[in-house]
Amino acid sequence: MMRLIHGISYVAYILWAIVTGSFTIASRLFVLREAYARPMIVELPLRCATDLEVTLFASSITITPGTLVTAIASGTATQPPALFVHALFEDSEESALEGLIAMESRLLAMTRGRAPRAASRDLETDASEGGTR
Amino acid sequence: MNDVVAAVLVGIFGITGSLIMLASAIAMFRVRDALSRINAFSPATGLGMPFIVIAAYVYDLHSSGFSWGSLLMAVVALLCLIIVSSVASNTLSRSAVLSGQPIHRKTSPNRLAQPPAGVIDEAERSED
Repeated sequence: MMRLIHGISYVAYILWAIVTGSFTIASRLFVLREAYARPMIVELPLRCATDLEVTLFASSITITPGTLVTAIASGTATQPPALFVHALFEDSEESALEGLIAMESRLLAMTRGRAPRAASRDLETDASEGGTR
Repeated sequence: MNDVVAAVLVGIFGITGSLIMLASAIAMFRVRDALSRINAFSPATGLGMPFIVIAAYVYDLHSSGFSWGSLLMAVVALLCLIIVSSVASNTLSRSAVLSGQPIHRKTSPNRLAQPPAGVIDEAERSED
């Protein structure tokens, strides 16, 4: 039952992301003073475990205008699998990753019935911060 | 449904969808490399085409009445547009990267080319 509620809210979230992303792409056309886009490719370590979760997450990222999955790295013994995401309109690498991780949390709440625990999320952010330092 | 409501709905959805397609076509000219063009194209398939399908369905609903067949066709067309376009964009971008298309030099950070600091072991590299 909780999965159904999370699923409906996830679909609504994706549709809203499509609308706002399309609006960004269209409205940036009228900004002539600066460069149209700030392309970047960020690396996103995944918390998704099963094939279904990874596929759904990659498709959701790609259908959102402004973000595109370019490559998937399989996990190793020490590192989780990672997605390489091409983003057009993000301000910085951190804000791009933040939006993607929020989307992933909603997706995991849908497939697992509840959001992933806060403790594991803190571990994730600690690990990624340690990596960029 | 009377004529005015149907005409207004068809007009709103059809024209908005067409304008979104036009905007993403112009956006494809404003960016510089293959990956960004695949990226800037997604509003057309994710929002513009569904709007045009909705306009066609509303027109059909008005002109020939409600039928389960046309509703099923419209729903399947909407779902297929969203699913197929996202999988196709994934495949396109993967093949663009794997075939060695140049990535715009201002792409920053480019984690496919530069790993984050600390991932490469500097001591190990200096031994090579």
